[in-house]
Amino acid sequence: MADEPKKLDRRDVLKGLSTLPALGLFGYAWQRQRTYQQARVTEVAAAAEAPAGQQVINVALLGAGAQGQVLTDSMLRITGLRVRAVCDIWTEYNQKRVVNSLKRFKHEPNAYEDYREMLDKEKELDAVVIATPDFWHAQHTIDCLKAGKHVYCEKEMSNTLDGARRMVAAQRETGKLLQIGHQRRSNPRYRHCYDKILREAHMLGRIVTVYGQWNRGVTPDLGAPDRYVVPQARLTQYGFKDMHQFRNWRWYKGKGGGPIVDLGSHQIDIYGWFLGTNPSHVMASGGNLYYDPKTHEWYDTVIAVYDYDTPLGPAKAYYSTQTTNGSQGYFENFMGDQGTLLISESEVNYAGQLYRDPNAPAWDEWIQKGYVSAPKEQETKAKSDSGAIADVRESVAPDQHTVPVTLRDPYHQPHLQNFFDAVRGKATLNCPAEEAYQTAVAVLKVNDAIEAKAPVAFTPSDFKV
Amino acid sequence: MERASPPGERAGESEGRSPSVEIDLSDVRRWSHEAMATVYEVYAVHADLTYAAQAAQAAFELLDRLERELSRFLPNSDIARINHLDAGASTRVAPSTLECLGIARHMFDLTGGAFDVSIGTGLPSLELDHDESVVRATTRGVRVDLGGIGKGYAVDLMAELLEEWEVPMALVHGGFSSMLALEPPAARPGWPLTLSDPADPSRRLERLTVRQTALGASGVRKRDHIVDPRTGDPVRGRRAAWVTLPRPLGGAAAAVADALTTASMLLGPDEIDALCRNSPGLEAWILDDAGLLHFGEQTNGDA
Repeated sequence: MADEPKKLDRRDVLKGLSTLPALGLFGYAWQRQRTYQQARVTEVAAAAEAPAGQQVINVALLGAGAQGQVLTDSMLRITGLRVRAVCDIWTEYNQKRVVNSLKRFKHEPNAYEDYREMLDKEKELDAVVIATPDFWHAQHTIDCLKAGKHVYCEKEMSNTLDGARRMVAAQRETGKLLQIGHQRRSNPRYRHCYDKILREAHMLGRIVTVYGQWNRGVTPDLGAPDRYVVPQARLTQYGFKDMHQFRNWRWYKGKGGGPIVDLGSHQIDIYGWFLGTNPSHVMASGGNLYYDPKTHEWYDTVIAVYDYDTPLGPAKAYYSTQTTNGSQGYFENFMGDQGTLLISESEVNYAGQLYRDPNAPAWDEWIQKGYVSAPKEQETKAKSDSGAIADVRESVAPDQHTVPVTLRDPYHQPHLQNFFDAVRGKATLNCPAEEAYQTAVAVLKVNDAIEAKAPVAFTPSDFKV
Repeated sequence: MERASPPGERAGESEGRSPSVEIDLSDVRRWSHEAMATVYEVYAVHADLTYAAQAAQAAFELLDRLERELSRFLPNSDIARINHLDAGASTRVAPSTLECLGIARHMFDLTGGAFDVSIGTGLPSLELDHDESVVRATTRGVRVDLGGIGKGYAVDLMAELLEEWEVPMALVHGGFSSMLALEPPAARPGWPLTLSDPADPSRRLERLTVRQTALGASGVRKRDHIVDPRTGDPVRGRRAAWVTLPRPLGGAAAAVADALTTASMLLGPDEIDALCRNSPGLEAWILDDAGLLHFGEQTNGDA
C-alpha cells in the first residue's frame, strides 16, 4: 500500500514552484479561476446525476444565511437533487455566495429577493428548504405548502406558538410534507440510542434525571462587510429595523428567541423524545448576565427545570445555556436506575459514554448484538468450576462502554436525506410538524416562565393542535 | 475561545515587552480563537474597532468551518470520510477540502514525497476530481493528515476574507507556525517578525520586516514530531526550518509555505537551495547543530 520510499526527484525541484503544472506559485490564482469557469460551462443536467430510476427532486433554498449555507453544503452531497432557485434578501452577499457555490457543483439556480416571485415563476419546484429568521418561518412555510411544495423548515418552527399551530394546520390542509430541522432526530447515533439502547434493551432502566448544556463563548455581534450593507428600505420592507438587527435577529424579541431557542431547542427536543413524553411543568431563570440588553433583548443565560411524568415514573430534567465561555461544549446526559448515557451531536467531544450500574443486569446480550461497544478491558469471565463461586485473581477495572455508531456525514445530511426520501415516498418523516410543535411548546414556554418568575404548568392538550 | 469584544488587546503590551524593532505598533489590536488544536490570531489596524472585531470574528467562523471539513479527528469531516474509504469508493467533499488536497498533492510531487500528508500510506492512490469535487480511493488504507498544510490553508482563506471586509492592514497566524502578513499599518515598512532558536527562544536568529508575505515554521521542540514519510524515521539533527514566500493575489501562499517548511526539515541543503533558486521570492532557513543556513535571495530581511 505504501509507496516505496522515494528519492527526491531532482527534476521536480529544479523546476521550482513557478513552473509547477497547474500550480505554479503565481499560477495558482489562475488555476482557481479556471476551475470555476470550467464548472460554469459544463452541462447543467450533470448536476443532479441521480442513480438510475431515482426521481430528481427540484428544490429551492429560501434563506441563504449561515444556516442556509450549512444545509446547502449537505444538499450538495445528496444525489438526485436539482437546486433550481435561491431566495435571500441579502442579494449583495449571501445570495451571491450560495448561488456561486451551487454553480461550482453545476446547479443553475435562479436568484430571487422575493419568495412570492420565486413561487410564481418556479413552477417545477417539488420542495423548498427554509432557513430564514424564525419570525418568517410561519408565513414562508404556509405559503410554500399552499403553493403545493413539500417543506423542510429549520427549527424553531416559529417564534410564536400561534405561528407554529398555523404551520401544522397548513400541513394538514395541503397534505404536503413538513419536516422541521431538529436534525438529531435523523442522526444515526441518536436513532441507535432511541431504538436499541432505550426502547429495545432498556439499558438505562428507569430514567430519573436528565441534564444538558450548551456553553458558548462570547463573540462580537455579527457584522457585514461595509461594501455589502443592505439598503435600509429593503431592511424595513422585510421587518428589520437596521443592519444590526438583520444580522443579529436571534437576540431580538419578536424575531428570534435567544439561545434557549437557538441551542436549547435541539437538546430539549431529545429530552421529550427519549423520555417518551412531554413535560408537565417548567420553571426557569434567565437574564442578560453578559451582553448589553439594548442589543440583546433575549437572555444570554438560561437555566430551566422540567418535570416529566414518564410511563415508568416521574423524572426531572434541567437544561442550561450560557454565553460566556465555550468550555465543555454541549451534551445531553440521561441517568437511570441501571445506567447512564452521555451523548452529544459532537462525537469528538463526547463519544457517547454508557455507564452500567454494577447491580444492573449484564449487558452481554447487547454487546453481542452490537448495541453497545465491548468493554476495552474484556473481563475474562470466571467460568467457575462446579463447586466454586468465584476465581481468585488480580483485580479488574469496571467495564467501559460507548455508543458504537459513528456519523460520517455532515450533521444535517441524514435529516435532509430523510426528508427527500419521504418526498419520494420511501420514508416517513423523522420530525414531522406535530412532533416539532410539542418541542416548540416545551421550549418557548421557558421564556414565559422566566418572565413570570413562576412555574408554568402544561396540560396534555397544550401539545396538540 | 476568543474574547474579542472591542477593543482587542494591545499587541505590544500583551507580550510584556516592546516590539522587536523600532516600529510603532501601539495601534495594532489582536483577536484570538482556538481551533485545529492551537490558537489563531488576527492582528489588525483599523479606524473602527467594532467593525474590525466583527471581521475577525467572521474569519474565525470561516476557520471553524474549515476545521469541521479538514480535521482528521472529527468523525464526520471530509478527511475522516476519505480515511475510511474502501478501495474504489468515493466521497464528495467541500471545494475547499479538494483545493487543500490539490495543493498538498502538488507539494508532494514537487518535493519528491518529502512533504506527504498521507505519511507514506499512498497519497497518489487518491484521485481528486475537481469538477465533481469528489475524492476517490483506488486502494484502501490511505490515511490523510493535513496537519502540515491545513493551518496555512486556513490562514490564506482568513486573509482573503479580511480583504473582502476591507481590513487590509492585518496579519493572521495559526499557532505562530503558519503566518500571513498582509499590508502593514499605515506609514510603516512592514510587520516586524523574528526567527528564534527553538531550544533558546531568547536567541534571535533573524529579524524580518514583511508585507504580503507568507511564513512557515517547523521545529522539533516537541521531540520527534516530524517523520520522514520516505523512510518512516523521525527527523534528527535538524532543529528547525522556516520558509517565506511572497503572496500572489488570490493565491495560497501560506498553505504552500506551510508545506515547504515541513519539507525543509527533510530535504538536503542542496535540494533546498535548488528549490529556492528556481522559485522566485522563496527563501528558507534551516537550523541544525552547525548553525543557521539561509537560502534564496534576501529581499525583505533587514538583518
